[in-house]
Amino acid sequence: MKHRVLIANRGEIALRIMDACEDLGLEYVAVYTRADEESLHVQRARQKYRISDYRDPNEILAVADEAGCTAIHPGYGFLAEDFRFARRVVKRSSPLIFIGPRWEVIRDLGSKLHVKRLARELEIPVVPGTSEPLYNEIEAEARAEALFAWLSENGEEDPRLLIKAAAGGGGMGIEEVRELDEVRPVFRRVRAYAKRLFGDEGVVIEARLRRFQHLEVQLLGTPKGELVHFGTRNCTIQSPGRQKRIELAPGFDPRFKNYTFDAQALEEEIISHSLKLAEAVEYDSVGTWEWLVTPEGKAYLLEVNTRIQVENEVTARIARIRGKEVNLLREQIRVALGEGLGYVQKDITFEGTALELRLVAEDTERGFRPLSGVIERFTFSEAPWLTVRTHVPRDRSYHIPTEYDPNLALAIIWGRDTQEVLARAREFLGSVVIQGRTARGDPLVTNVPYLQEKLAEVYEFRS
Amino acid sequence: MALNHKRINQLLQRLRSHPYRIYPVETPHTGYLRKILVTEEQEVSAGEGLLVLERERNLKTLRARVGGRVRHLRKDLLGRFLEAGEKVLEIWHPLSQEEAVAEVLRETLVVVRAPETARYLLAPEVETRLLKEKRPLVRPGEELLIMTFMKRETPLRHEGPPMVIFKLFFSPHQVVPAGEPLLGLCLPEEVPYLERVMARIQEEWPES
Repeated sequence: MKHRVLIANRGEIALRIMDACEDLGLEYVAVYTRADEESLHVQRARQKYRISDYRDPNEILAVADEAGCTAIHPGYGFLAEDFRFARRVVKRSSPLIFIGPRWEVIRDLGSKLHVKRLARELEIPVVPGTSEPLYNEIEAEARAEALFAWLSENGEEDPRLLIKAAAGGGGMGIEEVRELDEVRPVFRRVRAYAKRLFGDEGVVIEARLRRFQHLEVQLLGTPKGELVHFGTRNCTIQSPGRQKRIELAPGFDPRFKNYTFDAQALEEEIISHSLKLAEAVEYDSVGTWEWLVTPEGKAYLLEVNTRIQVENEVTARIARIRGKEVNLLREQIRVALGEGLGYVQKDITFEGTALELRLVAEDTERGFRPLSGVIERFTFSEAPWLTVRTHVPRDRSYHIPTEYDPNLALAIIWGRDTQEVLARAREFLGSVVIQGRTARGDPLVTNVPYLQEKLAEVYEFRS
Repeated sequence: MALNHKRINQLLQRLRSHPYRIYPVETPHTGYLRKILVTEEQEVSAGEGLLVLERERNLKTLRARVGGRVRHLRKDLLGRFLEAGEKVLEIWHPLSQEEAVAEVLRETLVVVRAPETARYLLAPEVETRLLKEKRPLVRPGEELLIMTFMKRETPLRHEGPPMVIFKLFFSPHQVVPAGEPLLGLCLPEEVPYLERVMARIQEEWPES
């Protein structure tokens, strides 16, 4: 059967799915909204449909039927982790293939609290905190008091807690508190925000780790029960709004940084824990297990992302399957369409260091304010060690739509080691020209200077 | 005050020469256009059914937001699968007295326009005062509106001398395209003059 894939997403991920489909000889159909008409993903697709909203399942399914698609790739964001959508895709009267995990897995791992409970059952360490959503501020205050006490007893001189929307994600709906008196008002604010954004008032409270590295384990499973990992990546450099800005693979580099713990052993431990949880739920697609690692070498599972991630290519760039380069999107599509992996863990090796830079139209001097406007010029120097993923055209001007994040491009850079990748990242950033104007007519600024500055902090613990 | 009766006359003359606002009727989402319920030049009332769109086996009747005359009806689209935002017809809506006043005020007041295509809310303080007072005074630096886009909320503050909020041009929580008016402001001493202007238009513009 010849498959045709509906790409239910926009921008650079839609373009990468197109690449993977072409690589596999599959036809694809794109969707777009009026705000995205200038995006390269719209220009490139031969068959495309304008829809009202990428988040509307009815739009996606109506187009899939009309265009004769057999499978839907949700990309990341939008409907990617909506288990109801995934269930509907496979359960409807004319079922389609959902390119992602089974809907039950998305449901179970989509809940941070359920992941915590499952992890505790499997003796996987998690950040201390509540394991049920809280709705009552008196109860929240009592839990917060116990957590403050736990932190103090464990030698934390300046204990802090995070109050989070239970259904949140992507760094949204998280606030920090330092005093017990702050808990109730912040709880109320986060609860109202959670209700507004996620439709659920549930709130969780966690101990705030003061210094940590944010590590991710990349896994790939199949419905046939195969399961491999593609190592780790380090996503510690994030904006104050907890949006990732620089990612590296591998997650630790003992040749570049001195650790007070055995980094290789810890990496093996968190990979092993991640595989244990994936096996327990029979994980059957690409997925990311997120971890926080303290300077003392303690690791805590944070959450699981049941989708392809923005930063998957930084992992793919250093991974080899029997010496050949890897495309995780291609692997994800292959296994969803019923193929087996065709390789085992020992066939996967790693080579060098890769680094990803997220180029964003944001004013880092003014609270990382997202900017819209027009990009009139976007250039950079090409290099064999560089891959740039972007939906922004380079031959004409482009209006940044206000409806979506102002991400402009991803630059993935490879080097034989971390020193080389950093030198190349500096060279790339030095060559980037992004010129334009905001909606107010001011010169458009981007986060390029911020990224240049932050390169000095790779593999450091964040405080 | 920059405005005078000559300018008002010009604005009214312009409105009289084309006393309509044209509302395009577009498909709100994808779907098959199963029925067209109106004919070219038909007069419709607000709420009247115009089209039937089918998506995922659900039929949806698109209704007229405003009353007026149906123009430029695309009968050729009947039975076809339509993309979102496809224009099917226009409604030429005759301006009411109140709408004519709004049109004049839009060109008369100091207008705060949407800097971005975004969702806008009134600042809580302003919202409360608008309910209590008819035309609240806002001071320099005071938060007027909250602009929500790209997952961020940005306050919009009043710049310039203390002014009165004379007219609200948008519905809070709705997406407003960049450049569209949000609020109409004037100096406190201009309020009586503007009220006279409104009274004059109400007198001269026929009741709909």
